[in-house]
Amino acid sequence: MNLFASADTVAEPEGVWGAIAGGAEYFIGIFNQGGEVFFGLMGGILPTLVVLLTAVNALIRLIGPEKIETLGKKAAQPGLIWYPVRYMVLPFLAVFFLTNPMAYTMGRFLPERFKPAFYDSAVSYVHPITGLFPHANPGELFVYLGIAAGITQLGLGLGDLALRFLLVGLVVIFIRGIVTEWITARMIARKEAKA
Amino acid sequence: MDGLNKVLVTIGRGVGGVVGTLYQAGRDTIDTIIRNILPFMAFIAFIIGLVLATGIGDVIANGIKGLAGNIVGLLIVSVVCAIPVLSPLLGPGAVIAQVVGTLLGVEIGRGNIPPQMALPALFAINPQVGCDFIPVGLALGEAEPETVEVGVPAVLFSRLITGPLAVVIAYVASFGMYS
Repeated sequence: MNLFASADTVAEPEGVWGAIAGGAEYFIGIFNQGGEVFFGLMGGILPTLVVLLTAVNALIRLIGPEKIETLGKKAAQPGLIWYPVRYMVLPFLAVFFLTNPMAYTMGRFLPERFKPAFYDSAVSYVHPITGLFPHANPGELFVYLGIAAGITQLGLGLGDLALRFLLVGLVVIFIRGIVTEWITARMIARKEAKA
Repeated sequence: MDGLNKVLVTIGRGVGGVVGTLYQAGRDTIDTIIRNILPFMAFIAFIIGLVLATGIGDVIANGIKGLAGNIVGLLIVSVVCAIPVLSPLLGPGAVIAQVVGTLLGVEIGRGNIPPQMALPALFAINPQVGCDFIPVGLALGEAEPETVEVGVPAVLFSRLITGPLAVVIAYVASFGMYS
């Protein structure tokens, strides 16, 4: 724009009209900026996402998601060693293979007293997993992608953040499962005492 | 001749199956992109454009710098998001978490929030995840109505403990990242 300003001698609009014209330019400017961001997202993330989603979807179809049902039955057993299976391995596999929201159907293999804890555990993993496996929850990618965009803008790699998000997520859902199972047990006991 | 035929049919069937699966996977992907990802991208692009082009960004930056720039602020955010009355309201579609995440991302990109806070921030803005969906989620797991009755408050109260705890764990785990 400035290149032509010196050659051309068109007077800038002044007065009230000038103010309105300036306002209009500002108004359009907001959407120009938004359009640029949209184009950046389309060009930057989307192509990778298309290929990654296709590959993982195909992999899941070839393996067959029903295979994890055996694990669901095993995770129903009491005992300390089944805690990590119930609140780490099973939620991870359920979210990976069945994706949000069908992952919660794996709860049907567990006894009633574990169901709230399993739901809590599984639902808490639908965002940490999106850093590396966006197919698991494609509708809610921007919890991670929004923050990741800032890291990219600084010129830093995302691998570190995605991996740490995934691993810390596993630790968090494990703790969440244990705490919720404990609270559920307390509430059931209190309810039975009342009845 | 019969043997050769059998081999050909087996190979043909196998290849056809794999190609069909891949094609179906591609179809599912494009479906997801158009129905779930692009609409949200449009919405997010508008918000980022608004923040970058107007003065709103600076107002937000001043507001969240104190909260998102340090561990104490993030803990406060996580406790507020985990309050049992608020969490089901903040949950639906993770829209709030996604918008806040995007705003934080913009501020990280502008250098107002240090990048190593990204990991604890991801947990701080999200202790309400799925709190709106507990009855439906439990129903998908074929839970009895009595379990739902107990399960809803159990999950909500659990978040009050595990929400801030997740932030602390993420904060410790973020040591050595981007520094």
